[in-house]
Amino acid sequence: MTRPLINRIPWTLIVFLVLLPVPFLGSRFYTFVATDIVILSLFATSLNLLLGTTGLVTFGHAAYFSIGAYTTALLMKNLGFPFLPSWIAGGLMAAGFALVFGFFCVRLTKIYFAMLTLAFAQIVWAICFKWNDVTGGEQGLPNVPYPGLDWMEVLPLIGDLRVSDKFYYVALALVALCYAALRRITLSPFGRVLTVIRDNPERAQFIGVNVRLYELAAFMVSGAFAGLSGALFGIFNRGVFPDFAFWTKSAEPLIMTILGGMAHFWGPAVGAAALILLNQQITSYTEYWPFVLGGVLIVLLFVFPGGIVGTLTKLGRRIGGRDA
Amino acid sequence: MLHRRMLLAVAGIAALIAPWEAAAQKTIKVGYPMILSGPGALFGEPALKGAQMYVDEINAAGGVLGRKFELIPRDTKGNADEAVRVSRELILKDNVDFLVGTLTSAEGPAVSTIAKENKIVFIAPIPKTDQLTAKANLHPYVFRSASNTTIEGRTAAEIVAKWGLKKIATISPDYAYGQDVTKAFVEHLKKIKPDTEIVDQQWPKLGEADYTPFINAQMAKKPDAVFSSLWGGHFLTFAKQAKPLGYFDAVKYNFIGAGEAASIESARTMGADYPVGIWGNSYDVNNWPGGPPAHKTYIDKLRTYTKQENPSSWPVTGYVAMQFLAEAIKKAGSTDSDKVAKALTGLSIDTPIGKQTLREKDHQANRGQFWGKTVNDPKLGHATMQEVLYIDPAPFMD
Repeated sequence: MTRPLINRIPWTLIVFLVLLPVPFLGSRFYTFVATDIVILSLFATSLNLLLGTTGLVTFGHAAYFSIGAYTTALLMKNLGFPFLPSWIAGGLMAAGFALVFGFFCVRLTKIYFAMLTLAFAQIVWAICFKWNDVTGGEQGLPNVPYPGLDWMEVLPLIGDLRVSDKFYYVALALVALCYAALRRITLSPFGRVLTVIRDNPERAQFIGVNVRLYELAAFMVSGAFAGLSGALFGIFNRGVFPDFAFWTKSAEPLIMTILGGMAHFWGPAVGAAALILLNQQITSYTEYWPFVLGGVLIVLLFVFPGGIVGTLTKLGRRIGGRDA
Repeated sequence: MLHRRMLLAVAGIAALIAPWEAAAQKTIKVGYPMILSGPGALFGEPALKGAQMYVDEINAAGGVLGRKFELIPRDTKGNADEAVRVSRELILKDNVDFLVGTLTSAEGPAVSTIAKENKIVFIAPIPKTDQLTAKANLHPYVFRSASNTTIEGRTAAEIVAKWGLKKIATISPDYAYGQDVTKAFVEHLKKIKPDTEIVDQQWPKLGEADYTPFINAQMAKKPDAVFSSLWGGHFLTFAKQAKPLGYFDAVKYNFIGAGEAASIESARTMGADYPVGIWGNSYDVNNWPGGPPAHKTYIDKLRTYTKQENPSSWPVTGYVAMQFLAEAIKKAGSTDSDKVAKALTGLSIDTPIGKQTLREKDHQANRGQFWGKTVNDPKLGHATMQEVLYIDPAPFMD
């Protein structure tokens, strides 16, 4: 059986190429919004490895996002490390903590699993909030430096851009790599086993799958990518704060994923773009943004039950006349 | 007829396009990131109102340099990263000329980074953390019209030193603000009154719901006086639990509450539960007998503007910050950020709370607060300051 055409299109590459000209559209604001979306979409997509692929609902994904952000920011700001090793260290640190926390979490199922992830995330938040000497406490670490991007000056076109535009390209390239890796993981035999676990964990156990081990591996990989996303966000935001680990931050990728559609690899990315643009538009027009945003989200969830991407593919199938 | 219609069409199109150009030419846009939702909005909303009142006032008088002010508020939701996001949006999308705002000690320094990056003047009316204007973080574009933790702690020490008591205790929330202001208090008190003995220090976590263990532990050490920096709602929870336990009686009401414990908001919310007789501070008071006439005028205007007989004590923060900005633009004769930044450095202006100066050295205003012993005011139906003391912190700011 050949894979359907739609799956053979190198979507990551296409999206990457489409997003390349953003800094040349004429407004620094577009670059700013695009960077925000690119980085946070990775956060949401990393969550979807647990939510959509493995069927694990976590309320504590912000823990790994913040661990990555703090690790990279501390290395770059306080110890003067270069960007790339700091960024990778952020991912590794997040993966390490995800391994430890996940070890306990995967022993529980359903709501108990979700509650334990939340508990661990709140512990991380409390540490960030109280460990003044290292994390800066409530005030966090402002003034996180941009990576040294002087080497970009030799590049054509990009060389003359502002540092925020250059950072956009760094983030875009790195996030594209992460997407390619996540795509590979999802489609690999490992990813298929995760889907089996999602659909029927008992059956997976009976056919000899070590469910806990696979769940733990998924938890760790997901945490690592959340950390990589957080590390980029800390630099983009020019500061890391304990809010990054607070439970409300964990809700963000959940909303993005559900809004975009968790049954699709690109769902969370579309959801991230939708949520960020909505939030940005609404908060600039009304101070009653929570009311409007909540209302819009409810309507969207009813109109697009499978998320935006889910509904669009269904629509596409109907128009294309292909049987589902 | 056709001719006229075409003219109309052209005018219509021009009207659609023109506001972009004209507005950018005419108004001076000021971005105002502030907490406008959630619990912090209790302070953020009135702080915005004060700024708006000043803008309305100056616009009615023709604006500055013939241009009117336009205040663009944005909700920071109390998050530092959201504060960064809206500030960038204000700069990149709304093309604001200046930033005034932020409330928490996390938001202030976070937005300061953005101001530096974009070379936009930023005046912080409320955040108190010393970090904001500390040497390592100071840059040409950041200014603070707010008080800071050093000023607040040391002012309290100046007052407590006059009580002539020896055994002192402290109770403060266990995070940056509480620690910094308590440290400033203890160090300054020991310096000006060397026989001071710190007998106990309690550090409940921020947002603690049950203060009983801390209260009992502190009473067991029998202090003569207590310094607290439990602010806003935290002070209310604490005082409600401490009063029935006889805590305030045990220290003979030698209790001084930083963090605006004597603000009209706290007094009004607690009503009869307020531990009347303690000392506290506030950003503003509605009745300042020894104050300059400008203060009375300001309060009268505020009463009309807010349609409240007893308005909040927070509008003055936004009012003074906007006043600094307007005066600096006047002095610079330009809205160019570099020129305004230069004009703000060392600028002295007459505000409703007296003369305020943004020091050249660290861009920090000599912003004291109002301190006083509380008494019951039967007219108001709640506690208020008996004698209002405004202590100019200039002598002990370094």
